[in-house]
Amino acid sequence: METHGKHSASRPAHTVEGTDPQLHVGTYEPAVDAGLRPVLLLHGFASSAKLNWSDTGWLSALNSAGRRVITVDLPGHGGSAAPDDLDSYTPSRIRADILQLVTDLGARPLHAGDAASGLDIIGYSLGSRLAWEFGATQGELVHRIVLGGAGGLDPLAAFDLPAAQQYLADGTAIADDSTAALLQMAQLLPSNNLFSMLSLIEAAKLEPFDPAEAVPRMPMLLIAGDKDERAATMGDLAALSPATEQLLLPGRNHTNAVTSRAFKHAAIEFLAQ
Amino acid sequence: MAEISFPLPDLGEGLIEATVLEWLVAPGDQVERNQPMVEVETTKSAVELPSPQAGKVVRIHGEPGGTIAVGEPLIVFEVPDNTAGIVGTVPAEEAPRRRVRLSALPEDD
Repeated sequence: METHGKHSASRPAHTVEGTDPQLHVGTYEPAVDAGLRPVLLLHGFASSAKLNWSDTGWLSALNSAGRRVITVDLPGHGGSAAPDDLDSYTPSRIRADILQLVTDLGARPLHAGDAASGLDIIGYSLGSRLAWEFGATQGELVHRIVLGGAGGLDPLAAFDLPAAQQYLADGTAIADDSTAALLQMAQLLPSNNLFSMLSLIEAAKLEPFDPAEAVPRMPMLLIAGDKDERAATMGDLAALSPATEQLLLPGRNHTNAVTSRAFKHAAIEFLAQ
Repeated sequence: MAEISFPLPDLGEGLIEATVLEWLVAPGDQVERNQPMVEVETTKSAVELPSPQAGKVVRIHGEPGGTIAVGEPLIVFEVPDNTAGIVGTVPAEEAPRRRVRLSALPEDD
C-alpha cells in the first residue's frame, strides 16, 4: 500500500467508479491551527478556486482564522481536466468525486465532542447547489454549510441550450436574459473551456436542482447581495429547513458579493460554532 | 517620516480599470504588509487587494463606486525615512526593463 501524502503534488489519483476525475485540488494550512474540521470551498459556474476564493481574499481570511482549507476546481474549470464525456459533469458524479477527495485528504465522519471531525462547506452559486445536495446526502460528515448567492431555482436547468448553440454558430441574439448572461460568463475568461461549460449545463439538465427532494439537516447560513437577482429566491431555500439563518449584503450583486468582508466574517463566525 | 504612493496594480486579463467596492483601511490606520486593503471590481470579477506595504495610511484614492485606472494612485503610506530611502533607490520606471532582461534567462534552460 502506498501512503498518500497530503502535500505531495504527485499524489496517486484515487479513481471513482473506475475513473480518475483529474480534479485540481488545493489544500491550505493555517499558520496557527484552531483545531477545527477542514473547510471545503466550492466555486460557481464559469469561475475557479482561484477566482472565487483566492483572489477574493477567502483563503487568507480562513487561514488567518485558523481554518484548514480544501479547494477544488469543478470539471472543465480552473486547473481541472475537461473530459469529453457528459457523465463527468453530472452533479451526482461531481459530488461523488468530491466525497472521495475530501476523504483522501483526511475528512472523517462527525464524532461528538471532536471539533476536528467532520467537514464544513462554503459554496457560491453552483457551488452552493452542490453543497446543499452534498450536505443532504452526507449528513454524517458535514457539520455546517454556508451557501452564497444561492436560490431555489436552477439557472442551468433553465438554460436555453439550442439558443446558445445558435448564437455561437451565427450570432443570433439570445432571447432569454439568464441564458445570455450565463453564456457571457462562460466566454468571459480565456481559461474557460466553452465546450466543458456547455457540457456541464447539459449534464445539469439531466439532474436539475430540486432542493425539496433532499434537505440538509445541519445548520446552514444563506448569504447573498441584496441586488443579486439569482438569489432572489434564497428565502424559498431557507424555508425548507428550520436550521437556517439568512444574511443580505447591502448594495452587492451576484458578481461582487464574493469579496465582501461582512460575508467572510459572518461565514467564519458561523462555521466556528 | 516619508510618504510612499502605490498605484492600482495590473489586474491581468488586459483589464485597464477597476471600480472601488469598499475600502478595508482608512487614513490613520496602521496596517501590516499583505493585510486586506481594498475590494475592487473589474468587468470580469471582484478582487480583494492586499496591502503592498506596512505603514500608516495617509491617503486613499477612490470612493466606493468610483473608477480607478491601472497605474493611477490608489493609496499613500507614511513610513520611517530609512525605509523610504531603500524603496526610493529603485526608480519606478526602471523596473520593467529589469524584468524583461531577467525573463530571458529561464528560456536558456
